[in-house]
Amino acid sequence: MTVALTRRHLAGLAATLAGGCAQRRRRPPPGEIHLWFTYGGRNRTVLLDLVDRFHAAQAQVRVKATFQGDYFEGLVKLRTGLFVGAAPSVTHVIGEVVPYLAEAGVLARLDEVGEEVVDDLDPALAQSGTFVGGDGRPLWALPFNRSTPVAFFNRAHFAEAGRTTAPATWSEMREVARTLTRRRGPRGPTARWGFECPVAWWFWVALVGQAGGQIVETDGRVSLGDAAGVDAIAHWQAMIHEDRSMKPPPGRDYNAWEATNRDFLAGRVSMIWTSTAFLSYLTEHAPFPLGVAPLPRRDRYSVPTGGTFFVVPAVVRGPEREAVLTFLRFMMSPEVSNHWATQTGYMPVSRRGRRRLRDEGFFARHPNFDVTLQQLTYAAPWPWASDLFRIQREAVQPRLERAVLAHGDAAATLSEARDALHTLGPEERRSP
Amino acid sequence: MTPARRHHPYVLLAPTVAVLLVFFVYPLLLAGYRSLFAWDLLTSPRYVGAAHYRELWRSGALAATLGRTLGYSAITVGAASSLGLLLAVQLNREGAIYGFVRGAVFSAYIVSWVAVGLLWLWILDGDAGILAAATGRLGLPAIAWLADPDTALAALAGVTVWKITGYAMVIFFVGLQDIPDSVLEAAAIDGARPWRRFRYVTWPLLRPTAAFVTTTSLILSFQAFDIVRVMTQGGPIEATTVFVYAIYESVFMNLRVGRASALTVVFFGLLLALSALQLWGWRSGRRGAGRP
Repeated sequence: MTVALTRRHLAGLAATLAGGCAQRRRRPPPGEIHLWFTYGGRNRTVLLDLVDRFHAAQAQVRVKATFQGDYFEGLVKLRTGLFVGAAPSVTHVIGEVVPYLAEAGVLARLDEVGEEVVDDLDPALAQSGTFVGGDGRPLWALPFNRSTPVAFFNRAHFAEAGRTTAPATWSEMREVARTLTRRRGPRGPTARWGFECPVAWWFWVALVGQAGGQIVETDGRVSLGDAAGVDAIAHWQAMIHEDRSMKPPPGRDYNAWEATNRDFLAGRVSMIWTSTAFLSYLTEHAPFPLGVAPLPRRDRYSVPTGGTFFVVPAVVRGPEREAVLTFLRFMMSPEVSNHWATQTGYMPVSRRGRRRLRDEGFFARHPNFDVTLQQLTYAAPWPWASDLFRIQREAVQPRLERAVLAHGDAAATLSEARDALHTLGPEERRSP
Repeated sequence: MTPARRHHPYVLLAPTVAVLLVFFVYPLLLAGYRSLFAWDLLTSPRYVGAAHYRELWRSGALAATLGRTLGYSAITVGAASSLGLLLAVQLNREGAIYGFVRGAVFSAYIVSWVAVGLLWLWILDGDAGILAAATGRLGLPAIAWLADPDTALAALAGVTVWKITGYAMVIFFVGLQDIPDSVLEAAAIDGARPWRRFRYVTWPLLRPTAAFVTTTSLILSFQAFDIVRVMTQGGPIEATTVFVYAIYESVFMNLRVGRASALTVVFFGLLLALSALQLWGWRSGRRGAGRP
């Protein structure tokens, strides 16, 4: 009894402290909105250019854009901002956390952006098609920089091996990677790897889909692909440990992605899987003829979508919210969607815009862009699961790395990951 | 010296105490308090008692993180202190060349961790790194130092040793300068050879310095973060997830404030123990050396 009372008191104290620390949100000056964004390099330049164009197109709304680190750092800052009353007017977050934020009640509905805008969005990239049952929910998110994983290959290396096309199946992929791998003597370093890909959740989900599985079943059971999940791990294990044709890049998260790109551009690897987001960057910097291809299939073609969605905190109201909607309508417009996509490599989210690009012959001149769009036909939706982010970060990712790099038992690894979903920690155990 | 008024010492101490209370004591108490709650910054905190501590203990995460941190620290402190002492003894001479070498060794210490990390990323690259090329020419197998879970932690410790050895060297050098020449000359006149002079004269007088160097290096190594963030991000397979990085990952990657707070409290306890060790080492060194 005493313990229960103490717990109640402490919980009350915590809520009081939390409430005390949480401050009333400081609104930006009238006519100004704050945009938090989470990427640097070329994407940042293009985004800031679009903000300038928005300012030139109208005089009522000014956008103050602030860089907030990578996606994960931006997410933590958003949550901190929400807590201390310093949330931005609008920001963008990865798709996996949209259900989590929406279910937590911290997002504003965006239906008011207008039917014309919403109807023009490609369903595979918008909330409606990105999530299972996404069209039956209130509109919480608008697509911004959307992508899929795609294969990039060095055409010069492929020509050496007498190939002009990328592998279309898993078995062909292993064979091609083996053929392209070069070693400096039996014990020396590998001069050239056939294949490189970050050992990361997103690419593993692609493999699971290609092997005929899905992460969450239609009845809500988190299967992690069952047998398909195991096969996906085994495929990587075979390429790394048996064939020694796949290089797992050093580092984790986005550092591993950057390492993959660097190796590819330096000619140290013949084929990589990475995001369509790097299409323009790799096209500009590759000192060799660049090939782009859809990911191969085993049982079927399948890719997850990635990238981010615009979201607006629920605390943004009144004229500020109207100003945000004005900005979002601008960003969703065919012209802006096209500019963003063609300058970066992300997918154009506007269907009208995409038709315009096709009519203007853009895809004929840049067939690599068209490859990424054709692959969208096989995009697999994410489950609308508020714990999707935790499944990714804590249940799967650390074990995936262990299973693939240390050649662990793939079935046992996924079984452990499924068990971990029930013992992730106090944050997930909602019952006291 | 007696203060003019009794409250003067307290007035002089007040600013420091205020800073310590606001920036050290209060955050620590807050971390201890937060560690009793499950909180994701979005939803209301939920009291879970010692669940985070139990979870850390039961899952083995605490032991694994502590083991990695201690392993990293053991290599770092042992190697940096030994090398620092060796260099200080060898370079404790007059002459421009010795001054230049001392400056060169120490220069690594003032370079930022990020720059050091990026530099060593190039050197240690398993395919295109200088080290891989050198071992390849010697006919030795290429090692992907940072991509192999068996070598990644040692590689990071090696980089840290490279960076902080200059610090240990300078402190030992100052300690050596503090030893009166007359004592060493007397030992030499008594027939003590260089090794015996070091063993029975120099080393006992350097013990307080050695205690200072090892304990400060130990604390420094326990606080390793930048090098991990730049070079391995805690991988591969958590092989380099040392304490501070684990705290960072809990908050910034996994969004767990309670767990990170629990780790912080445990970490504070460890650092407190290390500080006590430092004090003990310093005092016993003073007694052992018989110096005022």
